[in-house]
Amino acid sequence: MGNETWVVADLTIDGKVRKVTLEAISEARKKLQGTLCGVLLGSGVSALAPELGRYGAEKVYVVDSEILGDYSSEGYSTALSELIKKHSPDIVLAGNTSQGQDYFPRTAARVGAGLALDAIDLGLSDSGRLTVKRYMYSGKSIATVEFLDNSPAMATVRPNAFKPEEDPKTPEVLSESVDIPADCIWTKVVEVKRKESTRPELTEADRIVSGGRGMASSENFPLIFELADTIGAAAGASRAAVDAGFVPYEMQVGQTGKVVSPSIYIAIGISGSVQHFAGMGSSKVIVAINKDPDAPIFSKCDYGIVGDLFKVVPVLTKEFKNLLAQG
Amino acid sequence: MKTYVIVRQTPDTEAKIKVNGDGRSINSESIKWIVNPYDEFAIEEAIRIKENHGGEVILITMGPARNLAALRTGLAMGADSAIHIKDESFASADPYAIAKVIAQEIKNPGDYDLILTGKKMIDEETGQVGIHVAEDLGIPQGAVVTKLDISDDRKSVRVQKEIEGGQVIVDLPLPALLTCERGLNEPRYASLPGIMKAKKKPVKVIETGDIDFSSIGLSAEQLGEGGSRYAVTKLEVPEIKRRLHMIEGMEVSDAVKELVTALREEAKVI
Repeated sequence: MGNETWVVADLTIDGKVRKVTLEAISEARKKLQGTLCGVLLGSGVSALAPELGRYGAEKVYVVDSEILGDYSSEGYSTALSELIKKHSPDIVLAGNTSQGQDYFPRTAARVGAGLALDAIDLGLSDSGRLTVKRYMYSGKSIATVEFLDNSPAMATVRPNAFKPEEDPKTPEVLSESVDIPADCIWTKVVEVKRKESTRPELTEADRIVSGGRGMASSENFPLIFELADTIGAAAGASRAAVDAGFVPYEMQVGQTGKVVSPSIYIAIGISGSVQHFAGMGSSKVIVAINKDPDAPIFSKCDYGIVGDLFKVVPVLTKEFKNLLAQG
Repeated sequence: MKTYVIVRQTPDTEAKIKVNGDGRSINSESIKWIVNPYDEFAIEEAIRIKENHGGEVILITMGPARNLAALRTGLAMGADSAIHIKDESFASADPYAIAKVIAQEIKNPGDYDLILTGKKMIDEETGQVGIHVAEDLGIPQGAVVTKLDISDDRKSVRVQKEIEGGQVIVDLPLPALLTCERGLNEPRYASLPGIMKAKKKPVKVIETGDIDFSSIGLSAEQLGEGGSRYAVTKLEVPEIKRRLHMIEGMEVSDAVKELVTALREEAKVI
């Protein structure tokens, strides 16, 4: 009992393991101690255990129940808190996804655990307690947070903050039965709408192309989409572009939008406000294309082209196409 | 419909963040404080629900004296009354303790239909308090809501939530707690008459001494830093070194070639 580090799997709408889960397992294996365990919650999820093992999980707890088929914060937090009470893990992690941000706080409240959201670094203090780094004040500062006890310590990790690396194990799979009475499920799912886009999800994307006020109208956004599709990137936007009605809010990157950390972020016609940087400032490489040489983004980017985006972007798309055709 | 809105005060989004000498807190001297932007969506939505269904809107906050300004802003927008749980030490409390005190204040009268709050606070970058309150009260929650409709019989609420790769629409029985996302509404500005009226609206102040700690299972010490389950041991202003490689004053095709070459050979990201 005890001395275990758990990573609870985040699943996509289609029931696949999200990349952030594999990132969390890989990072936990490198930085933390104890038996590394995966946790699968859902209906018909047992088959996913080997995938968690491939990244280093030595043990996988599975709560396979029809009642968890539709996600609900009640169902997931009941299942997870019962597991925690039974097995007393030291550390419990999950992805900082829409689900993770929903049922992790509820579970933490129920088991009386501390919870840090959106960690970008994991570690252990001298006394073996979990420490995490996380952004505060809209990306303007990074806090090191130390837990006072691991009973357990809970954290969600930011997608793309860590590298998924395989370390194949054949995990011991433990089927857990948790009593989740049907009347404790309040949520009734009416409809799940899938986005039609074939582009990657913004928060998980390794490459992002974003357009700002400089795009001038929604009719010009296909320029962004074509460039994004050429390099397999997600498409984003600044708040100014969203407020002007060029594109929907779900594309917004920034303080009041999505927080992203891709390898490359191409900002097109975006001036680069403090609020925009709050959402993309942790990108590894930032490219800016803007006609205004005094735009603030040029003082905080890796590569900047001063020029008319309507001339630059089509040429850039073509150049990427050529380059990628060569392999 | 009786709706509570949990509001918090945060530094203005433009505020420059300076770390104090202790290396683990910020210098808040010259900071302008505003209503947490996500909480504004919650206040606006509560007022709209009142306009459509009748009832009242009660704001509740926990924090130092300056938080009164945030309450007045919400009252000026159209909320009816406010509760200020006031204590300096609460600032260092963790969501677990803060939520217990707020839940207790809501539980006592008990006759509420809905609790709204923002999806997160933009300073601490965490949105746990609302969800903890839902757990403490034993009511359903809907996190990161972009649309909500109260049913005709006012017994349930239909909410739309953003998830990765799509949206999900769920029905929750009332009372429920919802955390609000941008896109839910466009918050109104307080009118001048609204601001004048707000000054006369009731604000109930609760000090540490007024809290019945034994009934919520906490001690007074747990409301400060000592009771927190974790502590910030270090606060840094991140310095990411950027290459600042500017490509200007050349033909578009040359500029693009230089960029693409640099991305492949220098940055190695393509």
